[in-house]
Amino acid sequence: MFGRSRSWVGGGHGKSSRNIHSLDHLKYLYHVLTKNTTVTEQNRNLLVETIRSITEILIWGDQNDSSVFDFFLEKNMFVFFLNILRQKSGRYVCVQLLQTLNILFENISHETSLYYLLSNNYVNSIIVHKFDFSDEEIMAYYISFLKTLSLKLNNHTVHFFYNEHTNDFALYTEAIKFFNHPESMVRIAVRTITLNVYKVSLDNQAMLHYIRDKTAVPYFSNLVWFIGSHVIELDNCVQTDEEHRNRGKLSDLVAEHLDHLHYLNDILIINCEFLNDVLTDHLLNRLFVPLYVYSLENQDKGGERPKISLPVSLYLLSQVFLIIHHAPLVNSLAEVILNGDLSEMYAKSEQDVQRSCAKPSIRCFIKPTETLERSLEMNKHKGKRRVQKRPNYKNVGEEEDEEKGPAEDAQEDAEKAKGTEGGSKGTKTSGDSEEIEMVIMERSKLPELAASTSVQEQNTTDEEKSAATGLESVQWSRPFLDMVYHALDSPDDDYHALFVLCLLYAMSHNKGMDPEKLEQIQLPVPSAADKTTYNHLLAERLIRIMNNAAQPDGKIRLATLELSCLLLKQQVVASAGCIMKDVHLACLEGAREESVHLVRHFYKGEEIFLDMFEDEYRSMTMKPMNVEYLMMDASILLPPTGTPLTGIDFVKRLPCGDVEKTRRAIRVFFMLRSLSLQLRGEPETQLPLTREEDLIKTDDVLDLNNSDLIACTVITKDGGMVQRFLAVDIYQMSLVEPDVSRLGWGVVKFAGLLQDMQVTGVEDDSRALNITIHKPASSPHSKPFPILQATFVFSDHIRCIIAKQRLAKGRIQARRMKMQRIAALLDLPIQPTTDVLGFRLGSSSSQHLPFRFYDQCRRGSSDPTVQRSVFASVDKVPGFAVAQCINQHSSPSLSSPPPSASGSPSGSGSTSHCDSGGASLSSTPSAIQSPADDPVATEQPQPKLPSQLVIVSETEADARPGKSLARSTDVETANLSPSLIPARQPTISLLCEDTADTLSVESLTLVPPVDSHSLRTLPGIPPPPVTPAAGTVTPGEEPAGPAEH
Amino acid sequence: MYIIIGDTGVGKSCLLLQFTDKRFQPVHDLTIGVEFGARMVNIDGKQIKLQIWDTAGQESFRSITRSYYRGAAGALLVYDITRRETFNHLTSWLEDARQHSSSNMVIMLIGNKSDLESRRDVKREEGEAFAREHGLIFMETSAKTACNVEEAFINTAKEIYRKIQQGLFDVHNEANGIKIGPQQCISTSVGPSASQRSSSEIGSNSGCC
Repeated sequence: MFGRSRSWVGGGHGKSSRNIHSLDHLKYLYHVLTKNTTVTEQNRNLLVETIRSITEILIWGDQNDSSVFDFFLEKNMFVFFLNILRQKSGRYVCVQLLQTLNILFENISHETSLYYLLSNNYVNSIIVHKFDFSDEEIMAYYISFLKTLSLKLNNHTVHFFYNEHTNDFALYTEAIKFFNHPESMVRIAVRTITLNVYKVSLDNQAMLHYIRDKTAVPYFSNLVWFIGSHVIELDNCVQTDEEHRNRGKLSDLVAEHLDHLHYLNDILIINCEFLNDVLTDHLLNRLFVPLYVYSLENQDKGGERPKISLPVSLYLLSQVFLIIHHAPLVNSLAEVILNGDLSEMYAKSEQDVQRSCAKPSIRCFIKPTETLERSLEMNKHKGKRRVQKRPNYKNVGEEEDEEKGPAEDAQEDAEKAKGTEGGSKGTKTSGDSEEIEMVIMERSKLPELAASTSVQEQNTTDEEKSAATGLESVQWSRPFLDMVYHALDSPDDDYHALFVLCLLYAMSHNKGMDPEKLEQIQLPVPSAADKTTYNHLLAERLIRIMNNAAQPDGKIRLATLELSCLLLKQQVVASAGCIMKDVHLACLEGAREESVHLVRHFYKGEEIFLDMFEDEYRSMTMKPMNVEYLMMDASILLPPTGTPLTGIDFVKRLPCGDVEKTRRAIRVFFMLRSLSLQLRGEPETQLPLTREEDLIKTDDVLDLNNSDLIACTVITKDGGMVQRFLAVDIYQMSLVEPDVSRLGWGVVKFAGLLQDMQVTGVEDDSRALNITIHKPASSPHSKPFPILQATFVFSDHIRCIIAKQRLAKGRIQARRMKMQRIAALLDLPIQPTTDVLGFRLGSSSSQHLPFRFYDQCRRGSSDPTVQRSVFASVDKVPGFAVAQCINQHSSPSLSSPPPSASGSPSGSGSTSHCDSGGASLSSTPSAIQSPADDPVATEQPQPKLPSQLVIVSETEADARPGKSLARSTDVETANLSPSLIPARQPTISLLCEDTADTLSVESLTLVPPVDSHSLRTLPGIPPPPVTPAAGTVTPGEEPAGPAEH
Repeated sequence: MYIIIGDTGVGKSCLLLQFTDKRFQPVHDLTIGVEFGARMVNIDGKQIKLQIWDTAGQESFRSITRSYYRGAAGALLVYDITRRETFNHLTSWLEDARQHSSSNMVIMLIGNKSDLESRRDVKREEGEAFAREHGLIFMETSAKTACNVEEAFINTAKEIYRKIQQGLFDVHNEANGIKIGPQQCISTSVGPSASQRSSSEIGSNSGCC
């Protein structure tokens, strides 16, 4: 037996697993241990392997055979481990033991097995063993071991770790000694352990008392000092930065601060009242108030006390409010910021300066007088002494505790602490500062009163000047708030403003915050519905920021602007609507106008503009501002810069170069437009330019009768080959296969946007085309992803050329149309240069088979004023389900399109000239048809102002296809917005043969004969929907057009 | 340093043990895992020490997961090929990881339990597609048969090493904020150690200690 096993130990794997995992084998290993009680160079490997094998067997036993554990316990095998450990047997053995223990405790699943292992206190002996912590690996294994144990803590197991009688809790006290270990993973493990301990302590009064009375003060005061030291280092880093060179270090320090805040918050949300009181007190009076808040005030004051710069303090406070939601903490902190009376605090702190070293209970940021380790040692001894002195104390205390509420307890304990001679300095502190906090609360009532009166003052003033004086008048009582507002005013840049906005945002979004606190500055919480007033002072400053952002050389970053918009909305949008004063609304409209001018400046016919426009919209809507993420970014701590070489995110810096200026202008436009619409209670009807739900999707079934279909074979990249028909719509190309159930209908197998398509010929095959369609990247991490990458093979080269032409032109067309819609958004007339293009477009558009119609009413037709139908993509197909245009602005007469054209600009108010262009054009085709119209048509309100379109609804169309068909011919074709409808089949109706006569266009187009047969489109897209430009274009295209103009 | 993330029960800790301690032979009636492990590997002739932490069981504390992500140079994102839901949760894991980690963190997608081919619920191609779309490295492994386990960790290490050589990890960052343990001989460690720690204590240190 010995020999065989020996060979196995020696590294052979010859032994079968059945033998390894057995009680017998464990017995053998026990034997090995007894023979090798002393670690030597020779038996080191043997021992390590033995220990490892024991682990394996124990885990196996836990899962399969409990007798293994009985034996382990019976033979007290843990003692051997301990014995080996105590021999200073070196790193190799140490690491193996720790790993073994780790694995053991982690994989044990049965509670009873666990109890076996934990009994006899051996584990605690291992915990307190003085390992060589300078060894990185031992440290890592050791702390992982503690962490694993802490994860096993529960109401039952906790008694194996916490000894009430000796006041020992090695797992916890040994762990927190490493709270400031240089290795971040060690610190994380320590935090995990403490959190696990706190969680369990909720149900264990004695342990809770121990933690609070013996460890909380030393631990928290050291922790707070540790955090504060990092903060000062962080501030230093900002102050000494040159050319953004400190960014790497800065971002580490910021992340570290965030880690701490999250950790503190995790403790606070365990909701252990005892601990929270102590922690809150320390945080407020040792860190947040003395270091962060006091630094908001004039930097020259305050003498020698440690302070940080204004931006850093604003930034960090924002983080605090974003992360920590513990009501007592955030409310007290907000109280000081909003109403704090600095002079008094100064007086106090100066008085105490001398004493502060001895008695660190006032609000100041100072170093704990002794190290955590020492404090813990002292407390432990003290505890022991006390137990000796008053042997009954423990029991008595316990009984009392259960009956008493925590508040009483706290008080009593504080007294107890004071009463105890030579009692721990820490507990004393906690008692003292509680009193101080109460004093502060009382004191703050006065400024509160003053504040509320001053707020009323502000209410009565509209003018900024008087508001400013109002501000001055309160200055004496609210120095921090004053500072906050002042920072918003800085004219040169938004360096401070961004932080201020973040802070206000964070405070108002904090769940623990008492809404009344915020009402003092009239900053409503987001959920507040019944607002009647708002903070004019703040609103004006916000609008000024917006105005500034819309200037060509504005120094406002996009993040600042977005945050301003958020805050303004939060202030003035009430459940009943917007409560903003007209005067402010007008200013805001002014800013919006400015932003329109700004984009116009960059609007060019270039291809890239459209992509940028859509991309900006996409990224803006897909990634709305997350203030918490924003405040995680250290780069905003350094003064705003313009260069992308810093790697700073675009929204957090100023633009560099024309492209970025364009992007910025577009974004500013989007934001202000959306804000303005929202404040006026109007829905967005024009953006995005393409809406997902309007597009043809895979598996849609389309009526393709009389559509242009080109048969082709699609060969995908991976070699797949399918027969499909290619159809080209206004915005999309699709591949369909025949619908088996209905003749002439097709099922869409693929649909992709024309604008993202690339078509190239195939070199050696004149019948084939390579087609790629990319999906725009949805996140910055994903690459543009080709949704289609295939070779299309047509039956002959003619079809191939037709297809290529159609696709290529379709692409241009789709893009052109979108550009025109952008132009309309910007109130831009179309440049005359589009004439040529327009002609071509006109012709190419007629190639398109509109198997969709465009639905304007889906874009919020409910609101007549919003309906800025941009330009008419009049795919007027007779018999095509058609939109009818009702002008809700009561324009009665129908049959005279020209007046409508001239009338619309005046009627449309903020809508654009383009709109009018669209309107007039749209009426053009209808005029062509008017001969065929039945009388009803004349009674239809005329699309003079294309303010509302009523589509013959899909359901209606469903129900009475015939009727819709009839109506379609007579109804005004009006402005069909290019938003595509995922129409149900019946809406796609057939072409009417008889109306073909009215279409004079086709003869003028370059469409191959095939098309003119099947196509019934009117000059689908009226050459750019511009009144003047169109005039010059139409003659070539539509004889009827000029007649009307 | 690496972290391993993914749903519970996908075999994270087993993967880790399999990689860090070869002596635990996978046996059919025994599953053993570990939360922490360290191992030296050799990449391009350089000894690099990998420290790998499993984040399991700590998800309830936001501060902890946050810190873990931030301190890592590489992450193994693991799902179980026999359980579709573990694959479906990848997106949220990934989002978390991207949010909290340094942008340079190398993320490897691992489809574990490839030995259970008969119970496969997620196709290999799906894993590949997900990885492609999100810019991850992909591999299917089996902690049970040790298939590809070595490769998964080492490929990730190589990728990190490559990034270090490209200068994507700031080698000089070590000087600020992050203190190095006494035994770490940072002065002698070329590249890997210093720089990996730089991106916040990531622990593939070159093996000087």
